[in-house]
Amino acid sequence: MGRYLRLYLNFLRFSFSRAMEFRLDFFFRVVMDAAFYAVQIVFFSVIYRHTALLGGWSYDQVLIFACGFFLIDALHMTIFANNMWWLPIFVNKGDLDYYLVRPVSSLFFLSLRDFAANSFLNLLLAAALMAWALLRFPGPLDPLRVTLFLALLVNGAFLYYLIHLAFLIPVFWLHSNRGLGETFYTLEKYSEKPDRIFHGWVRRLLVSALPFSLIASFPAALLFEGLRPGLLLHVLGVTALAFAAVRAAWQLALRNYSSASS
Amino acid sequence: MRASPALYLHVASLEARKAMSYRADFWINVVVSFFAQLGAVWYLWTAIFRTTGQATIGGYNLPGMLQYYILVILMGKLVRGQEFSAGVSQDIYDGGLSRYLLYPVSYWSFNYAQHLGALLPAAVQLVLFMALLPLMGGGVGDFHPGPVQFLMALAALGVGNLLYYLIQLPLQSVAFWADNVWSLSVLLRFISGLLGGSMLPLDLFPPGARAVLQWLPFRALFDLPVAAILGRLTVAEWALGLAVALGWCALFWLLAKGVWRKGERSYTGVGI
Repeated sequence: MGRYLRLYLNFLRFSFSRAMEFRLDFFFRVVMDAAFYAVQIVFFSVIYRHTALLGGWSYDQVLIFACGFFLIDALHMTIFANNMWWLPIFVNKGDLDYYLVRPVSSLFFLSLRDFAANSFLNLLLAAALMAWALLRFPGPLDPLRVTLFLALLVNGAFLYYLIHLAFLIPVFWLHSNRGLGETFYTLEKYSEKPDRIFHGWVRRLLVSALPFSLIASFPAALLFEGLRPGLLLHVLGVTALAFAAVRAAWQLALRNYSSASS
Repeated sequence: MRASPALYLHVASLEARKAMSYRADFWINVVVSFFAQLGAVWYLWTAIFRTTGQATIGGYNLPGMLQYYILVILMGKLVRGQEFSAGVSQDIYDGGLSRYLLYPVSYWSFNYAQHLGALLPAAVQLVLFMALLPLMGGGVGDFHPGPVQFLMALAALGVGNLLYYLIQLPLQSVAFWADNVWSLSVLLRFISGLLGGSMLPLDLFPPGARAVLQWLPFRALFDLPVAAILGRLTVAEWALGLAVALGWCALFWLLAKGVWRKGERSYTGVGI
């Protein structure tokens, strides 16, 4: 455990020094993420010009939900996104070999080696937006539930990473992840909407096999509707199952990996 | 020495074949991605219409709203093209631009021919789903554009594609100085999606905002071709929209030229 912590601290050190080398890129990424937040807020503001409720939530509630998603997105962009970007390239170019011979878990190394220092600024911006959304909320918010909500958002970021990885692993067989990559970013839109708008088999899918609704919407539901142990267990159980499934898929994929230009 | 149109046709054809070479990717993209996108907006707008109990929102009833999104999903792909694989920044970054500087062709024309060729999967998707649209129930399939609407939409689509490419050019040219410019393409995608009518029909914005949006470049990318084919525009409104778009094309072309000329001076030919 200590060895992995030391290794991660080294990843952070290298990432910050690399980010400082390319100042212009640093700035572009900060602006890009800030624009994403602004676009989402305007989107919901326009929607709420025409309706008082969306999936049973008022504008103030949706704002907290959206800021929850911003936090998850910022965590993902900071910790995992760069690594997810490189993974299919490494697989296709055969560059994975370098990581497979390291005396550490290849999944740990490939998922965490590139920490996006520029997105770290956006994590601070997302946190500020969340504080603003919580403070402007007209009703009382139980501090315990707020704490649980924030903890579940961290779980949501981990779940988001697991789903993203699940969409990347087929590159070991398909050799191109363009179609699945685009499908992931399309399906990701489901996590940006309140889960109550979905029903039938789509809803069942979104809370189980493709758990996009558990990323930000369920944590927000726990905040607004009170602590429901069943719901909490559901979120944590699906996350644990997703982790086990992705790990198993990763091992299977590595057995299929045939090195350079596979 | 000028390159013949046959060369550009050949380049576009090569790019089209490349775009279709990964069959699994193609079908995942064409079918799964389309239905996933449509599903998200179908649930969103069904929920809103159910909650409000209104028959129309922003001038659209529910089937009309879904028609708008189906068309914006399909036509939007033809406008954007394969934006993130745009070779301009990559050619600058890894020094691949050098060989084009020696060829007796214009680099931009060559690259735009590649960009058009790569649209084939999106064009196949558009034709396929437009043919299937009349079969959709619930009033969504009630869609019969006349030849005039069809031609108006086609022209708007062509101008929209050119405009998106020209907006991308100066952004991609920043690669002369920056290591990675993909975030600028994503930024454009976010902003054009909201202000161009891809995320929401522009009719849902407040009147003051709509008055401003019609003069910005983004409306021509998504709202104009879709509104044209849906028959929501008079010929005069369409012509004004197209004129605004062509004005923006000229502006972005000049901007791209300026940035490119400055960038070429700092280009070392070996990549950053």
